[in-house]
Amino acid sequence: MRPDDLKFQKSHEWCRIEGDTATIGITDYAVSHLSDLVFLDLPAKGATVTAGESFGEIESVKAVSSLYSPVSGEVLDSNEELADNLEWLSEEPFGKAWMIKVKVSAEAPDLMDGKAYDEHCKAEG
Amino acid sequence: MAVDEALLRCGGKPTLRLYGWRPHAVSLGWFQSLSDFADLGPTTPIVRRATGGGAIHHGDELTFSLALDAALLPHDIAASYALLHDAIVRVLRALGVPCRRAPVGGPQSARPSERWCFAAPVKDDLVTDAGKLLGSAQRRITTDRPRVLHHGSLVLHRPQHTPFVAAVADHVEVDDSLRARLRRALVAELAASLERIPQPGTLTAAERTLATTLRDDVYGSQAHLDRRP
Repeated sequence: MRPDDLKFQKSHEWCRIEGDTATIGITDYAVSHLSDLVFLDLPAKGATVTAGESFGEIESVKAVSSLYSPVSGEVLDSNEELADNLEWLSEEPFGKAWMIKVKVSAEAPDLMDGKAYDEHCKAEG
Repeated sequence: MAVDEALLRCGGKPTLRLYGWRPHAVSLGWFQSLSDFADLGPTTPIVRRATGGGAIHHGDELTFSLALDAALLPHDIAASYALLHDAIVRVLRALGVPCRRAPVGGPQSARPSERWCFAAPVKDDLVTDAGKLLGSAQRRITTDRPRVLHHGSLVLHRPQHTPFVAAVADHVEVDDSLRARLRRALVAELAASLERIPQPGTLTAAERTLATTLRDDVYGSQAHLDRRP
């Protein structure tokens, strides 16, 4: 089950906004379509991310996929342990597999709630 | 590489591009470290691909890129490989090359220990009894919709740095006639597998402009090569 306090992006990232801080990761749906993960690149603390633009990449066997930020702002923290523990993405995509925490200056305009995201996933197949 | 990424990002019609390499060169997968290839020396040109996987020594080969909306391929990444590889198997068998999709392969969950794409075939790779014949890799992005760039490298003759690969020349004489038939058949079969009718085309103005920018600022830059030093 997905936590109900999340917002989602069409490109399958989630974010949890608490105060002015957003915690960002990728959804269980995304992970299930990216089998056999091998590499992950995330921005370092202090970097700036922009809503709707790529903030990193993840590689499954022979496919690199870009990761897109649901918010703009400064990266407050980056989950440095995740790259060496990619199985966390399957185990707890909404928990210990968080990717970055961002001090939010703006949100992407088209973030979805859980119900809308479920419908988006069904439409994608 | 710049043209391929421009085709991916500009979001145009499904585009198949066939090309070769002069001079012969090595392409690294997106996540590979440049220092792992220091032994190649300064005379081997190296470029970093947008796509994943291991490095390829591009010698006498037929290289292709396919840029298209993700919706035109099976949603599952492995299934998308299977669709395209089955088309290429049909092409090669018709030309007398007995190849197949590997039913099993090495472990996929561990980080690759082999630096070369062709060194350790995985499930669904295109192989002959001699080894891996086709290197494949993808990049997936989302612009206003999900897009895929699929790279393929079909070995015609074994390249210097990766003598362990399989080659089309193991089975048929690779002359100009064979090369022409191979290109025609590849276009026809890949288009058919995507339920498209192939039409020759050229880059749009937007694709040309972006390709020039990407060549100058990304693929031609040492900084891009050093993004994983």
